[in-house]
Amino acid sequence: MSRVFITGMGIISAVGASLAENRSALRAGKGGVTLCDRLPSRYAGILPFGKVGAGTDELNEKFKIADPGITRTTLLALHAFDDAISDARLTEAALSDPGTALIGATTVGGMCLTDELYRDTSNPCEGSAFLSSYDCASVHLYLQSRYKMQGFTTTINTACSSSANAIQFGARLIKNGLARKAIVGGTDSLAKFTINGFNALQILSSELCRPFDRDRAGLNLGEGAAFLVLEGEEALAGAGGGAAAGEGAAAGKKIYAELTGYCNTNDAYHPSALSLAGDGPYLAMEGALRSARLSAADIDFINTHGTATENNDEAESRAMVRLFGKPPVFVSTKSYTGHTLGASGAIEAVYSILSLAHQELYASLNFEQSIPGIGLRPIPAYKKAALRHVMSNSFGFGGNCTSLIFSNTR
Amino acid sequence: METAELKQQLKRQIIEFLNLTDTVPENIQDDKPLFGDEGLGLDSIDSLELIVLLNREYGIVIKDLKEGRKVLVDINSMAGYIEKNRTK
Amino acid sequence: MFYIHHISCISPQGSGPVDNLFRAVEPKYEGIPGNVLRRMSKSVRMGVGASLPLLQWSPDGILIGTGYGGMEDSVKFLKQIIEYEEGVLTPGPFVQSTANAIASQIGLFNHNKGYNTTYVHRGLAFESALIDAAMLVKEHPGNSYLVGGVDEISGHNYRFEQAEGWYKKEDFAGGDLYAADSPGSIAGEGAALFLLNDSPAGALARVIGIATLRGENEDAFRAALHLFLDRHLPDGKKPDLLLSGENGDSRALKWYTICEALLGLDVAVARFKHLCGEYPTAAAFALWLACTLPLKGSDHQTILIYNNYKFSQHSLILLEKFL
Repeated sequence: MSRVFITGMGIISAVGASLAENRSALRAGKGGVTLCDRLPSRYAGILPFGKVGAGTDELNEKFKIADPGITRTTLLALHAFDDAISDARLTEAALSDPGTALIGATTVGGMCLTDELYRDTSNPCEGSAFLSSYDCASVHLYLQSRYKMQGFTTTINTACSSSANAIQFGARLIKNGLARKAIVGGTDSLAKFTINGFNALQILSSELCRPFDRDRAGLNLGEGAAFLVLEGEEALAGAGGGAAAGEGAAAGKKIYAELTGYCNTNDAYHPSALSLAGDGPYLAMEGALRSARLSAADIDFINTHGTATENNDEAESRAMVRLFGKPPVFVSTKSYTGHTLGASGAIEAVYSILSLAHQELYASLNFEQSIPGIGLRPIPAYKKAALRHVMSNSFGFGGNCTSLIFSNTR
Repeated sequence: METAELKQQLKRQIIEFLNLTDTVPENIQDDKPLFGDEGLGLDSIDSLELIVLLNREYGIVIKDLKEGRKVLVDINSMAGYIEKNRTK
Repeated sequence: MFYIHHISCISPQGSGPVDNLFRAVEPKYEGIPGNVLRRMSKSVRMGVGASLPLLQWSPDGILIGTGYGGMEDSVKFLKQIIEYEEGVLTPGPFVQSTANAIASQIGLFNHNKGYNTTYVHRGLAFESALIDAAMLVKEHPGNSYLVGGVDEISGHNYRFEQAEGWYKKEDFAGGDLYAADSPGSIAGEGAALFLLNDSPAGALARVIGIATLRGENEDAFRAALHLFLDRHLPDGKKPDLLLSGENGDSRALKWYTICEALLGLDVAVARFKHLCGEYPTAAAFALWLACTLPLKGSDHQTILIYNNYKFSQHSLILLEKFL
């Protein structure tokens, strides 16, 4: 089966609207979660959120969009997607090639238009600009149309692991010869709907979230989007080079990393909580190692799911200890961006790859005391490090657990 | 309201709020645990929903689940707490 | 691609329409405890209910496609948000509203720690799940997977789609759905699930190929159909039967006409939406139906399912059945 390489990335989050901006913030240990006033919710200015700096009008302006049915969720996706394909130097012909798949993910979709949805449910009228925008598929159907893509396109929603699943599914399409390239990723925007949903579950923190800390009190919601361009060996060979970094570069292609392992499993314990022993996370990580033909000792770093809820961080910690004994260094970048739900798998994959590509580790913010009885401590400060294989984990509502492994190609 | 009447009302409200379609008030003993397999079999999502019920029907604010666990033991404990703290 | 061994379906069972809706006939769900059933939306109930007879074969993973999944509970939660002005809200409907609640609940029921995913790409959600399952079967020889397509008639989706003109404005009380020369179809719902793996022994059917296409270019559609048949059927052979997703919408008819014309007069045509109604994952019902059709006077039959959803999403599923 073909090897799969990452040749382009695009991202927008609370810490930046480009790869460079995001990396800068991570290196500086500067998080983007704050109290924001400009949010369509009564919790604006009360709870901290990882809001993307750009307003919806600004995003509309940038892409010259006048259609109000193109929601903020779609605009964030558009921004990240556009950057990713530029980064990978994909031509119009490459985008329209039937061998180029688009696998997207979102949990909010058009529900960010919570008030419009309410109005439309009470009295839907033919003229409403939004009726066909509320679902998750609307995001990727829009991207597919806008970029005239003709390859296989689909949308995944498995809650917080959605875009991690988009990545493994896209990679497997390439490995199974059903695509030559796959643009994969996810998006979610802050919405009254999800803010209230998580608040009703009493897992939102009124302070900056503290992943893996003894005194963690819940998560901060965030928004953002990230897309990655995956290319198989054959596609890269066609670009005038072989699969290795040096040869690919000769054709002007960056090769950031190789996706060497992945696994999706189900915790099957509770609709909105993980088993305390972390069965689902353990099986996902173990399965990813097996698929990469690596042992636990080969993993140099983990970008954890690390939402800072009491349940997740304990379950995830226990699973890491079970599998690794002494886990490798790890971070929760949700301390920078908040929990970006459907986008988190892809955003954190991008961050994992940045670590790998630049051989550096970013600090995990807001940590002081480890969880009693477990004692794990995330990375305290930025540093350079020799990294060969890194793991990125996403564990979602409904127990959906996905683990990805990226490896250095240099 | 008499305590016995409150308890009956509470049982009806719980059944309706949590959509316990195959239970009737007569099946809920006053000291039957609400949670766990030995009792009524409610779970953590139900505990959040009961906190909402106490708020909407009786004007009681329970700040978090930890506080809730002390109150949401059985009908007796819930009724007792309501009598002391209701604002509606 | 893979072999289908066991099937299960909850559907309107050919009854209706009533009030211009093909509503599913739901069983008593004796296998689902009341405590669990009470929270379930109709799509979760139908999905879990239809999965129960198949769980005895211990699937290694669960893959669900749903176009609307969770919409009804989403709106229930939404109404709370507005009514209580973002105050103290019950989390139940929010948790149930996630589209992956169906796959997740089946997994919970089955203590299934295997692969679990949900596709939500409207009229291609089920086909996406099938394509993923086909890859899994190849990647993990010997494993079995539970794959399904589930959608309910949600009051809100129905009203939106009615406002957009997807359903018949006139009363349709039965009779020939395909003869009604007017725009719009009749809404339906259902859950069709399949247990599939790579073993031919005892299989009901073998799925040979699946293709999806998006767009409203007739030439592109013809070319894609041609390519699909060339790839999967030898020497210009045509399928024995076309199971057509024609839905009574006069505007969609041309796609089915193109398909039938390309296949030629020797191919028998049957339709299925008068049994299940129109909904994003109706192709799952078609696949279930295809698996149940008896082999008439032959020991081998190939069936092509062509479905068109809202004009621009097309799917082709080719299967063969044999004694």
